[in-house]
Amino acid sequence: MRMFALTAVAGLLAATGSQAAETLDLVGPVSEYKLFVSEQTDLLVEDTEAFVAAVNSGDVEKAKALFAPTRQHYEMIEPIAELFSDLDVAIDSRADDYEKAEADPDFPGFHRIEYGLWEHNSTEGLTPVADQLLANVQDLQGRIESLPFPPEVVVGGAAVLMEEVAATKISGEEDRYSHTDLWDFKGNFDGSQKIVELVKPLIADQDPAFVRQVDANFAVIDTTLAKYEEGEGYVTYDKLTEQDRVKLAAAVNALAEDLSTLRGKLGLD
Amino acid sequence: MTNDHLRTSRRGLFLGAAALATAPRLVFASTEAETRHAADAPIEDAARLSDRIQPYGPHQAGITTPRPANGMIASFHVLADNPADLERLFRRLTDRIIVLTKGGPVPELDPKLPPSDSGILGPVLTPDALTVTVGLGASLFEDRPWLQPAKPRALVRMAQFRNDALIADLCHGDLVIQLCANTQDTVIHALRDIVKSIPDQLVLKWAQAGNVPVISPPPGAPPESARNLLGFRDGSANPDSADASLMDTVVWVGPANDEPDWATGGSYMAVRIIRNNVERWDRTPLLEQERIFGRTKITGAPLDHPHGTEAMAPDFAADPHGKVTPLDSHIRMANPRTPASKANLILRRPFNYVNGVLKNGQLDQGLLFICWQADIEKGFITVQRRLDGEPLEEYIKPVGGGYFFALPGFAEGGDDFLGRTLIAALSPTSQDSSQSGLSTSQAQN
Ligand code: HEM
Ligand SMILES: [Cu+2]
Repeated sequence: MRMFALTAVAGLLAATGSQAAETLDLVGPVSEYKLFVSEQTDLLVEDTEAFVAAVNSGDVEKAKALFAPTRQHYEMIEPIAELFSDLDVAIDSRADDYEKAEADPDFPGFHRIEYGLWEHNSTEGLTPVADQLLANVQDLQGRIESLPFPPEVVVGGAAVLMEEVAATKISGEEDRYSHTDLWDFKGNFDGSQKIVELVKPLIADQDPAFVRQVDANFAVIDTTLAKYEEGEGYVTYDKLTEQDRVKLAAAVNALAEDLSTLRGKLGLD
Repeated sequence: MTNDHLRTSRRGLFLGAAALATAPRLVFASTEAETRHAADAPIEDAARLSDRIQPYGPHQAGITTPRPANGMIASFHVLADNPADLERLFRRLTDRIIVLTKGGPVPELDPKLPPSDSGILGPVLTPDALTVTVGLGASLFEDRPWLQPAKPRALVRMAQFRNDALIADLCHGDLVIQLCANTQDTVIHALRDIVKSIPDQLVLKWAQAGNVPVISPPPGAPPESARNLLGFRDGSANPDSADASLMDTVVWVGPANDEPDWATGGSYMAVRIIRNNVERWDRTPLLEQERIFGRTKITGAPLDHPHGTEAMAPDFAADPHGKVTPLDSHIRMANPRTPASKANLILRRPFNYVNGVLKNGQLDQGLLFICWQADIEKGFITVQRRLDGEPLEEYIKPVGGGYFFALPGFAEGGDDFLGRTLIAALSPTSQDSSQSGLSTSQAQN
């Protein structure tokens, strides 16, 4: 997550965004992306309901099992979700964002619950946190529904997701209690790749080398992550070898560089 | 003090014209630069943003080049699965080195795109005496079967010494880049440029910046070594970096070193991040400080010539029991100055670092120790083993670093690039690359 106040920016972009989309054939991709985001948001709400129910019934094992797959939906739509900075903080902030870290009574959301489940192996005291999480996720769903999607935010989201991975995921700091970071990775990558796929037809002819390079780096990520699949998801992050961590980091950094030009390549400010 | 003592000192020798022939050429406004040495203190007001150090030559710049005020070591993981990948990396590095050390206007892009340059030096890059020196770590070779046979003979992973408290995140690396420049901004700009330009092949592992104090000597005064954070002049007894033939023995890999052909003209680099317990040091009596080093604090003169200069060499033979210069003083342990210890000379070119505050509330300061030698076993490793147990250990704690092999230099123009000889040694078409191509039997000069 990012702690920047993006809400104001989102409003601004929403106001100027829509004409640009028309002139640039982005209407199709943007509305398809909106569909994707709303699907993922629905799944997020659904899964959060089950996750919160498990927490509230004191079922530690079930809550642990649902934690990572539930978050994955959030990670997939993070460029949109984090436009609402108040909710992003409430849903996905980490202990470092609080002066007293884990002990801080204000530490909320997924990671506060993760901390209780893994560090204390308990759901004690988590009910209010879990209920608030569900309320926030539902709030997010409503806000996303009424949000006009500015094309520059959609297109820029592909790079934003890479920045997210580069800044907080590659170090294993995101899910530091559960070590389920690879699920988040997968969510961030899929979210980014979705955007790239949607706009690819608009640049494929004009810049085939760029497309090839981006595809190649996504492929590196896919094959590297595939080595760590287990059941429906992934092994814990500490199982990642140093060599594979470096491989992922290089692919992420290269994608972050390349995708940072995507908006410009599509003529968006 | 005999002439013989002076012979290995950087102060003792008149600088001949030949000495400059193989050293990376320094294009300074003032001619004074030509008599400066690797670890001399930079002179106030003498440095210019327009100072340009040519990156070309048989050896990389930044090794015997007079040290500017700022430096940094950045260590990377390398992504290269085959010789072609490695060549691509070397060529890209070479391109950046040429651009960055030359300066000039930054390319302007469509403002809808991220700018090509960080912009921290403005729209026109100034060379600012920048040098970019590239070294390879043992892991680069060892983790790649196709590269393993080309590993420089003496290149090993840095092992723990007695007083070390190594922090894994500050150690080793596949490839290291040393950046040096007059100003810190130029160093930072170069690092940012390289990180941005080569994201798919270089992943940053650790970095440590440092600097040395700039001095303002009276006119005509001899050069002074820069002071470290313990307040002592550091570099006094360095071998003369302007003496090309001495550097051929001490610093540069040549026919005598039993190294692969491709390594000729390269050099071993030892990097150590050494914390200084400065609070405790500042509470230590002056005489004790001086006994710990074996030199005086103000002038750097050896203790047996207390009113002399730092250029003077101590005569340990005349003081066999260490009455004047303690047997366990730093300089005496580091270099006992016996005929045999001549084989262990190293060229030190360190920087001081200041990193903020430690958990215990003390200052996190120390020495970014960097030294160069033609054989790391005979050089750094032997000297450090001798220093194990020295009284200075009470005040210092090595926490990071690594050993690297600095590639030979590259020529201007043509199709030359940094690391070309290594790539050629890997190519199946190059003569006998698997055997004698990698031995010293056909040393290049
Ligand atoms: C924080 C750590 C260190 C400090 C503060 C330090 C400081 C000094 C000082 C003040 C001198 C005397 C002046 C000079 O000749 O430069 C000196 C000399 C020397 N130091 Fe260090 N040093 C440190 C670490 C090392 C290490 C790690 C090595 C190598 C393993 C080393 C090798 C030498 C050598 C070879 C000399 C010259 C001895 C001679 O030829 O007279 N030093 N050092
Ligand atoms: Cu997040």
